Amino acid sequence: MAGSLILHDLQPLHWALAGAGIAGITLALLFLASRRLGLSTGFEDICSLVLPSPYFRRSAVLSGRGWRLPLLAGLLLGGALSAVLGGGWEPTWDLGMFDRAVGLGPAGKLAWMFAGGLCIGFGTRLAGGCTSGHGIFGLANLELPSLITTVSFMAGGIVTTQIVYRLVFPLVGAP
Amino acid sequence: MTAVYVVLGTAFGFILSRSGAADYDYIQGMFLFSERQLYGIIGVAVALAAPGVWLIRRRGRTLFGRPIAIEMKALHRGNVLGGALFGVGWSIAGMCPGPILVNIGEGKLYALAALAGALVGTGALGALYPRLQPLLGLPPLRVGTGEG
Repeated sequence: MAGSLILHDLQPLHWALAGAGIAGITLALLFLASRRLGLSTGFEDICSLVLPSPYFRRSAVLSGRGWRLPLLAGLLLGGALSAVLGGGWEPTWDLGMFDRAVGLGPAGKLAWMFAGGLCIGFGTRLAGGCTSGHGIFGLANLELPSLITTVSFMAGGIVTTQIVYRLVFPLVGAP
Repeated sequence: MTAVYVVLGTAFGFILSRSGAADYDYIQGMFLFSERQLYGIIGVAVALAAPGVWLIRRRGRTLFGRPIAIEMKALHRGNVLGGALFGVGWSIAGMCPGPILVNIGEGKLYALAALAGALVGTGALGALYPRLQPLLGLPPLRVGTGEG
């Protein structure tokens, strides 16, 4: 349906190759440094730099910052590198099917994204992890809380997208 | 070791950027069941990581001989509630936590608002945690500087 990425209309990597790469990074973190993959804890690491509440003084946060913040910096670099190699880095507001179906301008997109971000930040930390920590590492490590969380966030996402793109802003000719 | 984390993060970010995992349309396609790409990526990642994690944990030591010590996820009512709320956010923003950073790196300006929202949401959860903890059976806070 998507056919190509929003980023420079690039063709995506094969899913098997991308999945294998992610598995390789997950295993490298564990085998090199005894680290379990998990990115949403990085939000706590960033918050802990400015917020003094006990939640952000947990040992899991204070002792994880030293490796997780460099990993997060790498994610930024990886995105930038991908843009540079894929046709050049430039600031953009392009948002694919959102532009065609919902059609909000920059201010509307910022508000929409902020609302989404609030749910992501509060939800991932309440659940104890996100797609990486629960969905990839937790499932690979056969942890029950991760299975429950993964089913829950897939359900939340499916219901929301179905409401947004099939009921409220239906795309003409959508499959 | 910091450089290793930056390199692994960069490789991860590049893959997320080029696979569709950090692409709004591919995320919506996954939730609309009109696109198999993301199911394939997550399925292969879990299927290949699972035997690797098992082998590494069985060996019990890192490549450099340090003991493997990882914290297990806690089971509580927040798994369902927080998971569902995160799913709503993933759908709205078209990004999960890692791809928020990848999208910012790519130059997608709206992703900055998603990051701001995520940090405010995390701060709010941190502030409410003492009240939510007994209500939802969340793990007690372990404040300190131990290994985590």
